[in-house]
Amino acid sequence: MKTIANNLRLFWQGTMLSYIALFAWLRPTTYIASKILMPLAQILFFTFLGSYASGGSNVDFYVIGNAIQITAVSGIFGVTMSIGGDRWAGTLPYLFGTPANRLMMFFGRAFMHIIDGALGVVIALMWGALLFGVDFSQTNMSALGLTILVTTISTCGLGLLMGCLSLITANVMFVNNTVYFLLLIFSGANVALDTLPNWMQAFSQILPLTRGIASARILIAGGSFSQVAPMLMSEIGIGLIYGWLGYMLFKWFELQAKRKGTLETV
Amino acid sequence: MNSIEVKNLKRIYRATTGVIRRTTKEIVAVDDVSFEIKEGELFGLLGPNGAGKTTTVKVLATLLIPDAGEVRVKGLDIVKDANEIRKHIGFIFGGERGLYWRLSAIDNLRYFASLYHVDPEISKKRIPYLLDMVGLNGRGDERVQGYSRGMKQRLHVARTLLHDPDILFLDEPTIGLDPVGAREFREVIRNLQSEKKTILLTTHYMFEADSLCGRVAVIDKGLIVALDTPSALKKHVSDLSVVEVETFGVAEEVVEKIRNLPFVDALSVKDQDQRQLLLVQTKLGAEAVPDVMAALDGMRVGRVTVREPTLEDAYVRLVGGQV
Repeated sequence: MKTIANNLRLFWQGTMLSYIALFAWLRPTTYIASKILMPLAQILFFTFLGSYASGGSNVDFYVIGNAIQITAVSGIFGVTMSIGGDRWAGTLPYLFGTPANRLMMFFGRAFMHIIDGALGVVIALMWGALLFGVDFSQTNMSALGLTILVTTISTCGLGLLMGCLSLITANVMFVNNTVYFLLLIFSGANVALDTLPNWMQAFSQILPLTRGIASARILIAGGSFSQVAPMLMSEIGIGLIYGWLGYMLFKWFELQAKRKGTLETV
Repeated sequence: MNSIEVKNLKRIYRATTGVIRRTTKEIVAVDDVSFEIKEGELFGLLGPNGAGKTTTVKVLATLLIPDAGEVRVKGLDIVKDANEIRKHIGFIFGGERGLYWRLSAIDNLRYFASLYHVDPEISKKRIPYLLDMVGLNGRGDERVQGYSRGMKQRLHVARTLLHDPDILFLDEPTIGLDPVGAREFREVIRNLQSEKKTILLTTHYMFEADSLCGRVAVIDKGLIVALDTPSALKKHVSDLSVVEVETFGVAEEVVEKIRNLPFVDALSVKDQDQRQLLLVQTKLGAEAVPDVMAALDGMRVGRVTVREPTLEDAYVRLVGGQV
């Protein structure tokens, strides 16, 4: 019982304090701008581009796709910085020198980014309603909320894996940017999946976001929760697989660093 | 009873270079090192840069896996029982890194307290106590980024004492501190010793080891070349005197010329801004001065003194002139 309480405290404090420690550089104005202006810019760019290319018949497709994809900003970049930040701060030896539960330490780093990412999606959808008239009157809002949460969790799972790469390489931001832009295509945010070549469609099925975006489109169009439930199950499963792979990589990194003496190498 | 036992410790670093033709270079950082530290002892590990001090501390702190040898902390194996050992040890590496600069000192300590599973009720009392102990009372709410180097070092001490460990590894903790900060820090170390903590201290500063440590091991090129009390180590050079000559811009050839004089036992050079202080160890004492001055013919020379040897001189003799 005491161990569980210790681990929960570690999870919560790790979540809160690491978020403050590594993201305090985002001053309120910068943070608000990144939460409000950045989603707006992405939605405007891709919606106008997509509408122009497709003859303006399917605005909702681009607005919803990009609004959900916004979660990758927190899920990929935020989580990566949260894990890689310890390397840059020189705190890794001190973290690995503690008896703390590595699972709690690791997953605690993603928690605030789930809330942050979900908030970003909500703001982006509000822009969609305000500027492009996306209609939510037929939407099961609680199911949409769950979809946003599940998609954000699964994207953070990929972020945890990417974050571990930041412990191995100093060039992780290059990899992160590449993954972010690949998600713009492969997740179906901007290109209908059935128009992609078969191999690309197959690849999109092993990524987070793909099913989350599809589910959000169905729900906003008036679909029921039962229609999207299987996709959401798969979405969370994919996120957990990525998160678990990230955790395994984290453990492997710790072991390798102790074998090779690379704990402080940046 | 021994708190720490190190037997035949060996640690090699492997560096790989090249993309197509990959070559691996092996660097033996620690080669067959053995020592024991008793419970409550303050033990010094001295050596030049790259001698293997930090590697030894990292192994003891469970941050490096040894290539060979046996290392035990409180009777526990450093590899198999690493997680149990971590509950009983604390460690500091010199320098400013290793803290969350954007958090306050209190938040840093709260986070590390949770990592060490310190009960919240205990940490609520312990954090102010530790901040007071390291002289940061009243500054705990400030972000660490505004702290001086000395304050960060002292916060590291507070961090490492959160879980009240029995054993402390302090790796060059006073490096980079100003003289006042270093003196205050040494006082903190003395206080810890009075609390019966077992302490392994690595340092470059001989007077620090001399004033703090009960026993000292001198490590050079991964090997322990001497292990004794500071006073016993000084006896290694009790037959010698040290001629100190202050010079300005002395050339390397002149230093070598003096080093090769038949009566010179060891010679080291300390750079002090524009000046170089030549430390000539010799059995001749003051009689060596004319020959040393003759070797410096034409050079600008300042103060010349002859004195008794210190622990530093013993160290210089042991490591062959490297400081």
